Amino acid sequence: MFKNEEMEINLGPQHPSTHGVLRVKLRLDGETITHCKPVIGYLHRGVEKICENQTFFQGQVWTDRMDYCSAVANNLGWAEANEKLFGITVPRRAQYIRTLLNEFNRLASHLIWLATHALDIGAMTVFLYAFREREDILDMNEAFCGSRLTTTAFRIGGLREDMPPGFEKMARKFLAKFPTCLEEYENLLSENRIWKKRTVGVAMLSAEDAIALGVTGPVLRAAGVPYDIRKAFPYAAYGEMDFEVPTQTAADTYARYLVRMAEMRQSARIIQQCLDGMPEGPVMAKIPKILKPEVNEVYHATEAPKGEIGYYLVGEKGSTNPYRFHVRAPGFINLQSLPKMAEGGLIADIVAAIGTLDIVLGEIDR
Amino acid sequence: MNKFLRTLIPSDIAKGMAITGKHFCKVFFTANRRKVPFHIVSEYPEVVAKVQPRYRGRLTLLKDEQGEIKCVCCLACEKICPTQVITIEKGKKEGRKMPYPVRYDFEMERCIFCEFCVESCGFDSIILNHQFELATYNREDFSLGMEGLSQNMFEPSPVGKFSVADD
Repeated sequence: MFKNEEMEINLGPQHPSTHGVLRVKLRLDGETITHCKPVIGYLHRGVEKICENQTFFQGQVWTDRMDYCSAVANNLGWAEANEKLFGITVPRRAQYIRTLLNEFNRLASHLIWLATHALDIGAMTVFLYAFREREDILDMNEAFCGSRLTTTAFRIGGLREDMPPGFEKMARKFLAKFPTCLEEYENLLSENRIWKKRTVGVAMLSAEDAIALGVTGPVLRAAGVPYDIRKAFPYAAYGEMDFEVPTQTAADTYARYLVRMAEMRQSARIIQQCLDGMPEGPVMAKIPKILKPEVNEVYHATEAPKGEIGYYLVGEKGSTNPYRFHVRAPGFINLQSLPKMAEGGLIADIVAAIGTLDIVLGEIDR
Repeated sequence: MNKFLRTLIPSDIAKGMAITGKHFCKVFFTANRRKVPFHIVSEYPEVVAKVQPRYRGRLTLLKDEQGEIKCVCCLACEKICPTQVITIEKGKKEGRKMPYPVRYDFEMERCIFCEFCVESCGFDSIILNHQFELATYNREDFSLGMEGLSQNMFEPSPVGKFSVADD
């Protein structure tokens, strides 16, 4: 009698483990998901349209508010896209500091991912420990940029100010203790049988599917594709850095966890190199007061913690505003793989699938 | 056999519990001792939260040595503001060559604290101070102006008055 009865339920939009205002329509056959459809748009603010009515200089504050967990990475993409549009060369010291801040931001973003993902699955302790380390990074953001989350870290042409006194000491102090913290998280999770049961073989996404869906970032690398824009198309000072692109082949949630943990180690390595090899010199290029574009359009992609963030800018001759502005948000495109991951799995595993994608709804809805 | 033993003895969970236990002991034996300076959390608002020197708080007009407002109404801050929170009305004041702001309105509820205004100011006449307790009970309190108004930029926000030190 009940054999073919399917139940339809909504996950979210007010659900703590959807990481914001994501609503997922699920059709269930018993506990198995037969149909999964993410519904987005609850946090739409029209950032792209707003930026078209603002000058190139002002637009940066809106990139902060897209992916608020990795604001510095968004700022970097915006600044570099504009520099490409105006043909500005950024001083070397500024490039190094940009790389440094960007990697700190990657750590912060991965830590918040680890914390919330572990909390979703049921590991409360890691949540508290990861936020403890993230706090130090946010303090560094505050010391450098003046704000913890909405950093507005860079300017078109370089940086606003050089490093504040004591910043390097803070960074080195953090780097000295960070490997032990990472070990702590790994001791808590890596071999834990509950963690493994909830992640190994859950939310599979093969390399073919990931490439077909345009998925980037750690989710793609966990499927065995060593694609990292920092290596493939070096920007900022990444060309001079020595680091590896960690990959896994299992393509499940556990593999993504391993990739992100290895990435944090590489980030720490890059920060160390930045601090050691920091060149002297100015931090701001000479730029005109009013920026008017020369070329028509640019697309600039950078590797944000979540994946490839691309900025597409069309300049109009004689105008101080972008004619068209578009963001290729990594979270938006990664989210499209959720049905592929969740369908055929159990309903309890969709929480792991959402967590492993590391989505931020501010960026998806823009 | 080995796998069976591993399933039987939860060494992985014991490993995690050891870490938790270590941290628990660390806090348990050092909490509430004055000699231990290191605590991860601070007891805000009883303990005043310290901010970094570059912290971006509320907009404030600066005065020069004579106690006069430094702003000369160049409108650079008004133009650069991404959310248009600043409105300046130009005017004259006796005994002053430069223009004088008759009105300098600052709509704090829309301010995003990006510090572009301070950056654009060529006369160093505004700063963002270190005040971050900016909540009020009335919406009107977010519209700040110059001296004379009930809410002005030279006095701390009403919340400052509710800080624990006053209790």
